[in-house]
Amino acid sequence: MSKNSTMRDSKINSNHLNILIIDDNEQITKMITTFLELKNHNCRVANDGKQGLALIQENKHDVVLLDLAMPEFDGYAVIKALENNDMLKNNKIIVFTASTITQDELEELVSRGVTSYILKPIDIDLLLSKIIESATS
Amino acid sequence: MIPIKHILFLVSGVSSFIIFYMGLVNYLTAVEQSTGMILLVFATVVAAGTLLSTVYISKSITKPIEKLAQNMTEFSKTNKITNRKPINTNIKEIHELNDNFQSMGQKVEKTIAVQKEYVEKLKEIDRKKVEFSSMVSHELKTPLVPILGYVQMLQKQELMGELNKKQLDAVDEIYASALKLQRLVGDILTTQKLDLGKLEFNQENIDIAELLNSIIKDFSPIASQKNIHLIKDSTENGVIFSDKDRINQVFSNLIKNAIDFVEFGKGQITIGAKTDKKFVEFFVKDNGVGISETNQKEIFKTFYQIDTSTSRKRNGSGLGLAICKGIIEGLGGKIWVESKENVGTTFYFEIPKQPIKVNIKK
Repeated sequence: MSKNSTMRDSKINSNHLNILIIDDNEQITKMITTFLELKNHNCRVANDGKQGLALIQENKHDVVLLDLAMPEFDGYAVIKALENNDMLKNNKIIVFTASTITQDELEELVSRGVTSYILKPIDIDLLLSKIIESATS
Repeated sequence: MIPIKHILFLVSGVSSFIIFYMGLVNYLTAVEQSTGMILLVFATVVAAGTLLSTVYISKSITKPIEKLAQNMTEFSKTNKITNRKPINTNIKEIHELNDNFQSMGQKVEKTIAVQKEYVEKLKEIDRKKVEFSSMVSHELKTPLVPILGYVQMLQKQELMGELNKKQLDAVDEIYASALKLQRLVGDILTTQKLDLGKLEFNQENIDIAELLNSIIKDFSPIASQKNIHLIKDSTENGVIFSDKDRINQVFSNLIKNAIDFVEFGKGQITIGAKTDKKFVEFFVKDNGVGISETNQKEIFKTFYQIDTSTSRKRNGSGLGLAICKGIIEGLGGKIWVESKENVGTTFYFEIPKQPIKVNIKK
């Protein structure tokens, strides 16, 4: 997979990705950071939607992990804001959620321009492969 | 039913006719013409009087009864007894009738009001229940994320370097327990969706033989841990159109149950399928302890567990079979069990071979 990706996009090194994690739960962001850093990736964390949106707009990240259920400015609000700025499709956004969202709702997000989704609790290997897949897609 | 009015008319009419007839006979036979004349006039007066008083009496009876009947009709439509037209009558029986109707109506009205209150309360409880289980599953899933994440890192010996066998065993145990918890949360969520009729079905073409083979492949490792033979007994190779993941979920629940109920080393679990024109019938058969007739009636109910002493030895939350039933019925089929104690149990489920309009309430 990584071989293919380097062929398609020489700027992205799937062995060393810049990943933005947006989740209000600090235990979760800490665990994912620990895991991804073990795999030699760079992580930045935003613990709310507003901060997350500001960081996305800096355009420095290969992949964004976005939690849907956050207080106040949630994942949907972030997606909406990006859509309004025509930035949703330029970013590789993986939404992840523990809420009781349906398959149809997730597919709808993908059709709007979200790259991928993963349901909590997450399998970290699956998470990693989705991150690499999204970064190189 | 002949109205009272008519009877009264009839009685007074007949009596005055008899008197009139006696007078007429008297007059015609001319025994005593003056007496006959008097009788005739008398009879005519009596007949007219009777007629008038009949009209009056019948009116005084029928009017309040008509009003009462009207009140009853309206009551049956509205279930409200208050603000009904008052009934004026000095006939005791009608008074009593009206009083009884009034008190009955008040009772009915009150009962209905109480019942409405109960229904509202039940609806509220149901709403709370749904909110609660959705909240619970969300709140349980969230802390599972770091638990499963770190355990997986430990297991892969990435987080704390190489682990010795004892440490690795402990990590495996934590991982297995966390997975069990994750499954339970998933089951609670599925049960809740079934309750609400919100479970989604994605139908696709399924090759029956392939399906059964993949199930054998997936579950053989778990079965062989208990020295149980898991075999396929079917030559079916048709294709059906249904929800593969959900059918797998049903098989998974049934096979895991069967594994729990057969003896170590002596167990055998057979799965298979046969089709007819419209349906495919799957089965999962074991030679385990069996299920008593009393329990057979209960096992598909949510949270039902076959007595507490056995459930202590066995896994399961009491949700598995309820979920199977919900899924199969959602796919337009049915599930049932045949079992004999100490001989074994066979679960059957049949589903339509062709696409059906799956029941999704939104």
